[in-house]
Amino acid sequence: MKILKLIKVNFFAFLVLLAYLVLMIFNRNLGIDSLKNSQYYLKEMIAIMPPIFILTALLDLWVPKETILKYLGSGSKVKGVFLSFLLGGISAGPIYAAFPVCVMLHKKGASIRNIVIILSSWAVIKVPMLLNEVKFLGVHFMVIRWILTVIAIIVFSWITSLIVKDKDIPEADIELPLLAINSKACIGCRLCTKNYPQVFKMENGKATIIKDYKTLDEDLISQTVKACPANAISYNPETND
Amino acid sequence: MDRFTIILWIVTALLFIFSLFKDRKKTVKALKMATGLGKSMLVSILSIIFLIGLILAVIPPATIAGYVASKNEFLATIVSAFFGTITLIPAFIAFPLVGTLVDAGVAVVPSVAFLTTLTMVGIVTIPLERKEFGSRFTLVRNCLSFLFAILIALLMGVFL
Repeated sequence: MKILKLIKVNFFAFLVLLAYLVLMIFNRNLGIDSLKNSQYYLKEMIAIMPPIFILTALLDLWVPKETILKYLGSGSKVKGVFLSFLLGGISAGPIYAAFPVCVMLHKKGASIRNIVIILSSWAVIKVPMLLNEVKFLGVHFMVIRWILTVIAIIVFSWITSLIVKDKDIPEADIELPLLAINSKACIGCRLCTKNYPQVFKMENGKATIIKDYKTLDEDLISQTVKACPANAISYNPETND
Repeated sequence: MDRFTIILWIVTALLFIFSLFKDRKKTVKALKMATGLGKSMLVSILSIIFLIGLILAVIPPATIAGYVASKNEFLATIVSAFFGTITLIPAFIAFPLVGTLVDAGVAVVPSVAFLTTLTMVGIVTIPLERKEFGSRFTLVRNCLSFLFAILIALLMGVFL
């Protein structure tokens, strides 16, 4: 059961692993080629991701929500669009490096439109790659491609913001909440409300947290977390400050 | 490491030291958050990396170029856009690659379609993007990027 669960959680990784296994059995050379190809991307990831993660965390802790909302929120208009292009354009690394940054920015109030602009320009409009593009494809090519791509991104980021709303994007859990209940896992057994009625209550057959509970009793809460048969309660004392 | 990656490291290091001086506790918390972020994305990113390696070995871009060069421009555009969609190549490699395509005789329109979908649309990154942004966002963004990539390519053909 545990293995099945592991596969389910990492299904994509499991498929890739399976593909490699099959390849190694039937066409070893191709499998080795694949590993060699991956090497470059692996190096790139190691070079890019650590500073990206640290920058994301630092920005999350130091830049107040109001600032992000003001500069990248839905009210930021032209200024926000310009800033988003700048942010995506000067960045290094592949598009997935933009994911943690954009999730954090959206959590802090950046609009969907600006998130799409950052992601897209991060992918194709790169100032660091400017000379590279000129070298391989020429100035003429570069200038026209840049102009067309910027216009295209402005248009389709706007269309995206019409179709996708803020509530469609899952809440970023960069910062773990002190206490949370996974309502999908909760089986409604009421054990927590019996153990610690000051904090937990039942709502529509599922346990919820009473919003304005005063202080948490360490022993009582850890007892309650352990007692939950569905492991639906998560308690993160480290967030407490 | 290229120049911009080095700048990224330096900027991060400077901000980190600044943060450390201003508030030690907060900085430690930031470090914990960064490792948490890394852990939550590591498996997905590794899967993406090894899948790209595999795709590039099974369908080498040179094969695609050879195939595309012999077809008419419309078909070539569609095929190269689709191939660009399957995999994801950082711009750093994409430009020289597209340069080789053009040199090898592939027309401008399919080459640009390839370049844009290559970097902006990625089937391989969809699982991760879905996890971070939700299905609706991922679907809409990738579909629109694909359509506009072809549009950009077609207009490039007009202007060049």
